[in-house]
Formats: sequence, structure tokens, C-alpha cells
Amino acid sequence: MNAIEVERLTKRYGKIEALGGVDLRVPEGAVFGLVGPNGAGKTTLIKALVGSLRPTEGRVSVLGLNPLRDRARLRQRIGYMPQSPALYDDLSARDNVAFFGAAHHTPELRKRVSEILEFTDLADRANDPVHTFSGGMRRRVSLACALVHRPDMLFLDEPTAAVDPQLRSRFWTAFRELARDGATLFISTHLMDEAMLCDRISILRRGRVIASDSPRGILERGGTRLTIGRDGAEERSVIGGHPEDLAEALRPYGLSRDVRSVGVEADSLESVVLSIIGKEEG
Amino acid sequence: MRHTFAIARRVVKQLLRNPRFLALSVAAPLVIVYLLKLFFDTMPEGFDVARYAVPVAAFLVHFLAFILCAIALVQERTAGTMERMFINGFRRVEVIGGYVLGFLGLATFQAVAALAEAIWLFELDYDGETLITLFVVVWLLAVASVMLGIFVSTFARREAQVFPFIPLITIPSVFLSGLLVDTDELPRWAEWLGQALPLFWANDVIQEVIEANWIFEDVWASFAVLAGYGVALLLLASLTLRETE
Repeated sequence: MNAIEVERLTKRYGKIEALGGVDLRVPEGAVFGLVGPNGAGKTTLIKALVGSLRPTEGRVSVLGLNPLRDRARLRQRIGYMPQSPALYDDLSARDNVAFFGAAHHTPELRKRVSEILEFTDLADRANDPVHTFSGGMRRRVSLACALVHRPDMLFLDEPTAAVDPQLRSRFWTAFRELARDGATLFISTHLMDEAMLCDRISILRRGRVIASDSPRGILERGGTRLTIGRDGAEERSVIGGHPEDLAEALRPYGLSRDVRSVGVEADSLESVVLSIIGKEEG
Repeated sequence: MRHTFAIARRVVKQLLRNPRFLALSVAAPLVIVYLLKLFFDTMPEGFDVARYAVPVAAFLVHFLAFILCAIALVQERTAGTMERMFINGFRRVEVIGGYVLGFLGLATFQAVAALAEAIWLFELDYDGETLITLFVVVWLLAVASVMLGIFVSTFARREAQVFPFIPLITIPSVFLSGLLVDTDELPRWAEWLGQALPLFWANDVIQEVIEANWIFEDVWASFAVLAGYGVALLLLASLTLRETE
């Protein structure tokens, strides 16, 4: 079953078209990545999914609910971490998490707040005002606010932008833990190494989805440069990105003794995505 | 109501975590009332201080309650916490209710402090009933000002966009609400414009009750308009505060 179904979603601001007929399916329990450059429409799409933005046209269903019509029911089941931390700087981490937790019927809120602060590794600074925190800590508080009510579906808008690699790795461990517990995660990112960690990705370009597949599937659309060192000479060729293409390319050599070396240089996800975008732009 | 109280608690907590802001917002009207005293001391003998002292204190409370509430709400919008509140399930009526409750404490404190100082500094001698009525009217004005702040905040996306509203609301209040000159000396259109401002009705009550031998029948209508002003602004704010873009 799909947690998200989007059909021909369009959002226009006057003459500017932020989303131009987006079609999207996100399976339940998946870690889904929305990949695209800045200004592609990622935040606009997330806002339409969480019911913070009224689409100009199209149909949106999240967990079987309409984000605008069934707003109250949906908001009990989703968590949202915006791109900017969106916190009360004068208040402590605990106060922030407790405030957003109070919006939901979270049982034993006080205990749950402590649990989630522990989960996001903030227990030591729980009572300090947020304005004393580093950027990474503020992101963790923001994540804790999105998780406090145990949502079935999480929307994370560039959650690891400007976050150091160590914290990013911790975030992804947490995301995987949440997915294992049954939550569906919708993560927007422009970082390709992060996109590789998703179960499925869609590439958004100028408000349109131009490709949807697993990261591996997208990679296989790229090329692989094969270099065979043979009899003191190098034979270079470009083959497909699929593992079977490599096997096919190597078969004629049978790895005979005169094959001294084999070099394989596959396209990165970034270059494949850029090439897909390039083709789209003609 | 649970959500409204959660927002009110959070607003109060934020105010308490800002002792400098809190002290300034109470100290500012006190300092201005004192400066007013220095100014009035230069006036010739027989100048009617009572005519101006309490209305000016009321104006200061009105101005500060309006501006502080408007800016606090616009800050919510710029920081993204307003959107986050809505996405978390808070509704606009609850947000407005929470802000009214949260700022009510500050507005009450401002009303008591400014009024007490004006009465003490200008050595105004009023009976208990008059003092209570003066407090209630200044407090009601403060509540209406909080509502006005909420309403105005719905038209501003950034703090800077609140500033054009300050002269737009406060200058007509000073000149057209009877604070400096009696409104019946103004052209008819200006008198009507003055009547659209909450300070006009508050000043109307104040001018009545500072005279000896006033009776409640003389002021209840202005009281009702002032209270109605607050309710109307609350309704307008709840219609204009948008949950979705």
C-alpha cells in the first residue's frame, strides 16, 4: 500500500509555476528521498503534503487522507521537520519538545519528552535555552519535536543540510531505526551520498519529477568506463551501468593471462542525476 | 481549550525567560509618565493635569500592548514556528486565544503600573469606585490592543512590515480620540475616524469618571463599545490568520 499518492499536483504563484503536475507514489514503510537542486520545488511539495499549502490543481493523499480536508486527523499522524529549525530560542530543548508534544494526545508526555531527548542525544542539555545551542544541536531539537508524538509518517526537509558528517551518520542511523519500527520517511535532500541511503528516490527538477527509481536503478542508467590493460596497451570502452553489462563486456577476454589489469570506473549518482537533468533540458 | 492553555503557558514562559524585555516593557510607560510629569510641571497655574494624566498612561499601555503582541506574532511567522504550530495540529482560534491569555498578564501589569504611577505622581485624588473603573477601562483597552496587535500581525510577513502600522494607528489615536483636544471640536469625518479607534472609547470613560459625581449609566455604553471592539478584532484576526499558504 502507498503512504503517499500524488497526481498532477500543481502549485502556481501568479505566473510562477513552483510545481508543474507532479506524480508520485511512496510505499508505506519506505525511506523515500526527494532529490533535486535548490529551487526545484522540494519544500513546496512537502508543504503541500503536510497541508500547509493549498495546491492550485491535482490530488494529494497522505496515509489515505486529504491533507486539507482531513487536516486534524492527518496532523496527529505526521511529523514535520522544516528546513530551518523553527524553534523557540528562549525556551529550553525540553520546553520546545513538550510544547509541540502537547499539540497531540501524547500519552505520558513528560516521560516521552525525556525518551526522545535521550534518543536525539540531548539529555545533557535538555534544560538549556536553545539559543545557546550549535546548529547541529538545534537540528536535533527540531527532529525531537517532529518525533515526540510517535508519528506514522515523517517529513524531513533537508534534515542534514549544514550538518557535520558524524551527526549526519547519527541522523541516518535514527532514520533507519524509525523505518524499522514501521514509520514511512519522506526526506528531501540535494546531497547524493544521502540519496544513496534511501529505498527509493525521485528527482525533482523545476517542479517536475523527471525520474523515480531505487538509487541502484538510477545508477544503472549511467555509464561505466572500462579499461583493460592488455599486452602493454590499454583498451578503453564505456559500457552500461548494470552489473550484467560489466559481465558481458568482460566475457570476450575470459580473463586470459595477457589481461594484466581491469579498471572499472562507474558513474556516481551525482553524475547520473546531472546527466538525466541535462537530457531533460535538451 | 487544552491547546489554548498550552500556547498561553508557552507565551508566558517566553516572556519570563526575557527579564530584560519584561522590565523594559513595564519600565518604558513608567519613564514616559515621569517625563510627562516634568513637562506638566512647566505649565501655568490652573492647568488641568487630570484631563491628560490618566489618558496618556492609557495610551502608553495601548501602544505597548499592541506593538509587543504584533511583533511577537510576526516573529513566530518569520521563525517558522507559526507554520509548525499549525502542522502540529494547533488551530488558529487556539493560537489567538493562547496569545490573548499569554499577553493578558503583561497587559494587566502594565495597566496597573502605569495607572498607579500617574495617580501617585500627579497626586490625583479619586475614590475607590473611580480607581477600579479606571483600572478596568485601561485593562480593557490593553486587551483590545492585544487583539489589534494580533490582527495587524496577519498583514505582516516580517517585523519591518509592522512598522508602517505604528504611525497609522497611534498618530490618529493621539489626535482624534480626544486625548489632546475634544473630538466635538474636530471636523465630522475626523470625529467618526476617531470613533473607530479603541482609545476614543477608553478616553470617553476616563473623562467621565475623573469628574466628580459620575454614574455608571454615563459610561456603560462606551465600556460596551470597548469590549465589543476587542471581540470584533478577535473575530477579524481569526478570519485573517491563515493556516495555509
